[in-house]
Order: sequence, then C-alpha cells, then structure tokens
Amino acid sequence: MNTMIIDPLQGDFPEVIEEYLEHGIMKCIAFNRRGTLLAAGCADGSCVIWDFETRGIAKELRDSDRVAPITSVCWSKNGHNLLAAAADKSLTLWSVSTGEKVARATLQQTTLLARLHPSSTAPSICLACPLSSAPVLVDFNTGKTTDLPVSVSVAGPSTASHSRNKFGDGSLPYTPTPATFSKNGELIYVGNSKGEILIMDYLNVHVYGVVSVPGGALIKSMVFSRNGQYLLTNSNDRTLRIFENLLPSKGGVKALEKISKTLVGVQEVVDKLKMVGSKCLVLSREFQDSVTRSHWKAPCFSGDGEWVVGALASKGEHKIYIWGKAGNLVKILEGPKEALTDLAWHPEQPIIVSASLAGFVYIWAKEFAENWSAFAPDFKELEENEEYEEREDEFDLMPETVKVKESNTIEDEEVDILAVDKDSALSDSDLSQEELCFLPAIPSPDAPEQQEKYLGSSSQLEGCNRSRSPLSEEAEQNVQEENPGSSLFVGNSAAEEVATDGRVKRRRKPSEKGLELQAEKGRQPSTKKKCLAKNRKKSRGQENCAGRNEEPVTDEGN
Amino acid sequence: MAAGGGNQPPQIAPYRPYRLLRTLTGHSRAVSCVKFSYDGTSLASASLDKTLIIYSSATLDTIWRLVGHSEGVSDLAWSSDSHYVCSASDDRTLRIWDAHNGECVKTLKGHSGFVFCVNFNPQSNLIVSGAFDYTLRIWDVKTGKCVRVIEAHSDPVTSVHFIRDGSIIVSGSHDGSCKIWDAATGACLKTLIDDKVPAVSFAKFSPNGKFILVATLNDTLKLWNYSTGKFLKLYTGHVNRQYCITSTFSVTNGKYIVSGSEDNCVYLWDLQGKNMIQKLEGHSDTVISVSCHPTENKIASAGLDKDRTVKIWVQDA
Repeated sequence: MNTMIIDPLQGDFPEVIEEYLEHGIMKCIAFNRRGTLLAAGCADGSCVIWDFETRGIAKELRDSDRVAPITSVCWSKNGHNLLAAAADKSLTLWSVSTGEKVARATLQQTTLLARLHPSSTAPSICLACPLSSAPVLVDFNTGKTTDLPVSVSVAGPSTASHSRNKFGDGSLPYTPTPATFSKNGELIYVGNSKGEILIMDYLNVHVYGVVSVPGGALIKSMVFSRNGQYLLTNSNDRTLRIFENLLPSKGGVKALEKISKTLVGVQEVVDKLKMVGSKCLVLSREFQDSVTRSHWKAPCFSGDGEWVVGALASKGEHKIYIWGKAGNLVKILEGPKEALTDLAWHPEQPIIVSASLAGFVYIWAKEFAENWSAFAPDFKELEENEEYEEREDEFDLMPETVKVKESNTIEDEEVDILAVDKDSALSDSDLSQEELCFLPAIPSPDAPEQQEKYLGSSSQLEGCNRSRSPLSEEAEQNVQEENPGSSLFVGNSAAEEVATDGRVKRRRKPSEKGLELQAEKGRQPSTKKKCLAKNRKKSRGQENCAGRNEEPVTDEGN
Repeated sequence: MAAGGGNQPPQIAPYRPYRLLRTLTGHSRAVSCVKFSYDGTSLASASLDKTLIIYSSATLDTIWRLVGHSEGVSDLAWSSDSHYVCSASDDRTLRIWDAHNGECVKTLKGHSGFVFCVNFNPQSNLIVSGAFDYTLRIWDVKTGKCVRVIEAHSDPVTSVHFIRDGSIIVSGSHDGSCKIWDAATGACLKTLIDDKVPAVSFAKFSPNGKFILVATLNDTLKLWNYSTGKFLKLYTGHVNRQYCITSTFSVTNGKYIVSGSEDNCVYLWDLQGKNMIQKLEGHSDTVISVSCHPTENKIASAGLDKDRTVKIWVQDA
C-alpha cells in the first residue's frame, strides 16, 4: 500500500529526542497495539491517554477516591480496556472509550507489573506480579485469584500458599517474580529467584517445563517479542538474555503435552520438566554492559523484533542501549539528567518513548533528513557508481516510437480502486474488526472573549515543526517574517478586517476561485509577501490602519 | 451539444442515466464546494456569500446556515463521524462547525493567505489545509493548534487530501507539481508531477489509497499509481482551463469518475474504459464541485456565479 513509498529504512532505530510530553508526574507508559495511543500512569493515581499522532491528551482516567501512584499500565489487545495497578494494592480495569471504571480488584500486595490476557476472548483475566510474592492470576468477573507456582523443588511443584520457604532455599524475601503470557495467552512463563523459567498453562496452572537460565541469577523481568518468537530476560547478574521460543504460537499446550509424552521413561519429575523445558526455549544471545556492570531497566524488543533495547538508570542516568538481534551494540542514547523509570518502543515506527523520574515522557525519533530525491519524480538515488551501458540504438534519431508504445499498454490495465491490502505486519485476524485505534477528537470550543488569550497560544506557532521544499527559497523569507506577524491576526478583529479590506481593494476583483488564481499568476510572489509583511507590521499599531495600508498598496504599483 | 443520455458501452447491466432531481437555491453568490457527509445523511455546501448551508440529504431541506466567516468560503470537509464540518475561507481562517447545532466551535488561524482547500484525516483528529501562502498546515482538531507547517509549493496550493489510514497527504498546486508528504514528519516522500505547466488543480486518493486522481488545467484528468509514478488512465472531453474543479469516484453502482466542467456540465466516465458515459446538463455556469453520495446513486453538483445553485442528480431505479 502506501508503505511502498515511505522510507524503506523504517526498521531503523531512533537517535534524538524529538519532543517531550508533560502532564503531572508520569511513571509508567504503554502503547496500544497499533501505537496510536499512549497510556501513562501518573503519581496522583490517574491515567492519561495521549493521542500519539497529535501529541495531545485524548482522555484522562481519574478516580477521585484513589490517589495512590500507578505502578503499571497495560492495554487490552483490542484497545478498549486499560488495566492500571496502583500502589494501594489495587488493580483497576478502565473502559477507554467511556472513561469509566469497569472492574476493580484488591490484592494482598502492591502489584509491580500487571498484564492483561492477550486473547480478546478473555479480557477480564490478568496476571499481576506483586512486590514480593508469587504472581497471581486475577479474574475480574469472578473475583477469583490464583497463585501461581514459583518453583519446582524435589518434593514437587509448590505453590505460594504452602510455606514461607516458597522461594526454595532461603533467598532474599523481597524478590519480585516476573511472569508473562505467551503471545496468544495459552501459556504463562514465570521466572523465579533461582534463575529458572517455569512454563505452565493458564487454564489448569499445571507446570509443563522448566528452563534454567545460565548463571542461576534471580530473574527480574521477562518480555516476549511482538511475534512471540523471542523471550528477553533481565537477570540479577546484570545480563540480558534472548531465548528463542521453539513452541508454535498456537497450540502450545498440545505441543508441550506431546513432548512430555515422549519423555515417559524419565522418573525424576524435575529432570523431566527440565528436559521438556529445554525443548521450548533455547538461549540465543546475551547482552551485558562490561564497562559499568550496571543493572538494566525496562528491557524490551522493538516492534518488529529486530532491535533489543535496555536502559541504565541506576546512577540517576538516562541512558538507552540499542542492540541488533545478532548481539551488536548499535547505539547509546543519552537523555537528560533525570533517572529513567520506564521505556516503550512504538509497535510500528522507529520511535522510543521513555519516562523519567521528573515525570516527563520523552519521545525519541530518527533524525529527520530531507530526502531530496523525493522532489524530482524520475530521480533515483544510487548507492554507488553504476556503469551505464548504452543501447545499440541509443543515439539513433527515432527514439520516440518506443516511448509511445509503452504508454498505450499501461492504459489498458484494469484498475481496482476499492480493494484494500490487509496489513500483514499486524495479522491477528481474530480481532481487527473491533479494534479501538483512536479516540474521537472533540474540538474544545473557543469562547468569544478568548481573543486576547490567543496572543499567548499563537506564539506557539514558532515552535511548529516546519518542512521546506527546496523550490521555494522565497518562502523561507516569509517564514521568518511570519513569526512576529502571526500574533497579530488574532489580536483585534477590527484591525484584521481592515487589513483584509485593504487587500481586497488591492485585488480589484471579488474572491472567485479562477479569477483570483489568474490574478495571482500575474503577480510576482516576492512582492506579494513583502506587502503582507508590511501590512501586518503596520496594523500592529492598530491605529489608522486604513490610511497606512494605502501607501504600500499604491507603491507596489498594481 | 447532446443532451442527457450518453454512449452505451458494452456492460453487464445497461447504464441508467442520471437525471435532475432538485435544484437548491440557498446561496446568493457562487457556490464553491458541495460535499455529502460520510454517513450520507447530510449535504453541505459552501459559497462565496461567506456562508455554508447544511441540508438533509434525504429531504433536501435546509437544516443549518453557518454564518461567521468574513470572506467567501472556498472549501469544506466533513469529519469521519459526520459530526463536524471544517470550512476554508478567504479570510485566512478555517472554522470548525458542529453540524448538529450549526455552531462554530473553533476558528483556526495561522495562514497568511486565502485558505483554499481543507480535509480531515480519517481519524478526524487532524485537519490539513492548503492556502495561497503556498504552505500546507496540519492542525490538531481538539486544541486548534497548528501542529505543522509544510512549505510545500511555490504557488497557491489548490488541493489537499489524506490517504485512508492518515499516514500520507497528497497536495496539488498551481506550480504544476503534485507532491506526497508524510503526515507524521512533514517530509516530502515523492513528487508525482513536476512540470511547470499545466497547473495541478485537484488531487485526491482513491478509496483504497493506491491511486491518485489528478486534474490539470489542460482539460485532463489522470489516474496515477503513485508507487510506480506512472499514470494508468486518462480522461478527457471536458473543459478545465481556469478553475479548480473537483472530481470524485462514484462506486455505488459501477465504477465511474465524475467531474465538473467549464462548459456547465457534469461529466461521467467509465473508470476502466475511460469513455465518457454521460454529460449532465442544467447548470448555467461552470460546475465547480461534485460529490457522490456514499451509498445511494446520487450526485450533487455546484455552479459558479451565474448559476449559484446546487443540483441533485439521481439514477432512476
């Protein structure tokens, strides 16, 4: 579709801070499935939904009696619901389009990380990873909470409710145990403090396999790539690891059962689980920062799975490291001197969004480089010199016949103006009909007394991003002159009308489309612009506009 | 000139000609633009008499008259939910009107020349406008702030249109060029045409976003495949030398290209065969704008100053 002419290097990574969003103190961020909306949880207990296209606030989700800071936000797959976990041990499910609370649950501990079930058939089920106990499956409809097993000891899989020794052999008491759903939500992967990943199915909570992460260090977080083929783990030994997921994306439970059956001969439960596990996840890469040996924060994949990003924030820094999937470090982004608290990569574009301790959300994007070849229709950029081979009849005197034939054949093709290509990148066909991609933008009404206030708002025009076409160098002059002038348009409507009257008189013709254009064509562009600038500057005084406007008009000699 | 019925190319079903249903005479000056809403319930028209009128598309009664601009209105656009109408005027502003109560909700100021063309993006959170100051401006609907200024051309911008997913914008201008811009960054992605003559008077994406229909002031309409940069179809027979006449796709009953013309007629061509199917006569001045109803076989057309009417044409069942 149109992506054919958009920059083919779409899969690249961002380089500079393009913009920042400010609204209270935002602590955690999440994109919706298509990246059109960004949800941010704030320190005052509210959630803000930003329209990423306009970089404006689309909605605010606020519950007046809850003011505890939000620790985690997660979108449902169809974008209709948002799950927010707060520091007062609660989980709230919001409906994004209405802004109303749908459900609330209170747990025994504050949740650090909350994830909604990825399948649209069970949007009310979520996974909550609390501060220091086992992950919990919460069903909003029934209110049931199920603790998940966190370790497989010799005595068999033990659940959290059994004993205080739930973490096995006396490891630190306050250890978060991360958990994540597989891509379609059939399986849950839980990482424990011994460096093991338990694979279980979400319906029966039956542990199928165990994978040992080399190094045996406590696992701090786990996240899948968007296509579900790679798992990224962040361990206490300051290393990020990528595992390749060997299970199929659909029917993972059946595949696990099949693997288990083939290992019937193995007596030891733990050994059997480990053998099953080894067939599910295979270590593929390791990343660490050998220089500073710091802990990583908020690691994740890029939208297309080509890049891995991790952040360093332990010494109050705001550094973002980007690696290629092959393991090579490609970029280090350094942000302002505020510690980074959360990070998210846009699902489709090469944009990273990072939240800092000060509450701002920074948007990192590719450096904007003008594509000059776009301005000439037939221009093709070459990567390197190409030898040009002439045709036999290149310099013959009758080359036109060839061209004519070409254009005729093209015109006879059938043209289809209605068929739409399906977007293959996001090809989960079960849901695309009902997805909520954007919130309706309702223009906020202008009050008539706000004319003076416009002086403030329109000066923001200077901050507008501007792009130029190289053909209009004179337009550049206009841009500089426009800035001081723009605030005038809104000042006093009387002055404005006079200015327009002056110009209309100058035109000598009523404002009909074609006649105008004819008049415009005859006039030189530069004189017209200077005229406009003069008119504006004079009317700034707001006195005797009519009189003064006449002078430049006659001088121009229309 | 031949009246009403046109050629009969070999088709699956015989072509049923359009006939005049009603003439609406609400405006006191030339009508510059007419557009059906996306849900088909309303029709809006803009005029050089500084007002817009919203009609009910079923009864063709006037519902609202939108007054507020201090100069003539050149273009209008409906939001995707058919709730808001945005108008572009020679008073260098754009206004967003609520179509349900006829109130002006917002005024967008910033252009330094007559605003000539306007369109919402499909998500209707952004508005793009082109003006005589040679620039395109992208506005945030909610706040009314100008989000981006693109120094697009070296002559007045005559036409702007978003693609169906809102990612790119096509703009046509009197400098003879038709360019495609990335909506998010404002970067120029492609230049489709770059000849100084003839001027590009209108450009619009096809419903599926793969093709662009471009009108140039040499009596020509071309359908371009913009990824290959080649035009596929050429439609001629009408007159278009002076005005920025809008054209559109008619897809409710067979695929046609519909356009106004300076010989006071509305032309219909078969999309694939490029032959003219019908010429609708009745206006007494240039037909400057045409619009097709999204679901019914209805066409609305607007005439310039000697005519000042909006005519509704329907196909007999």
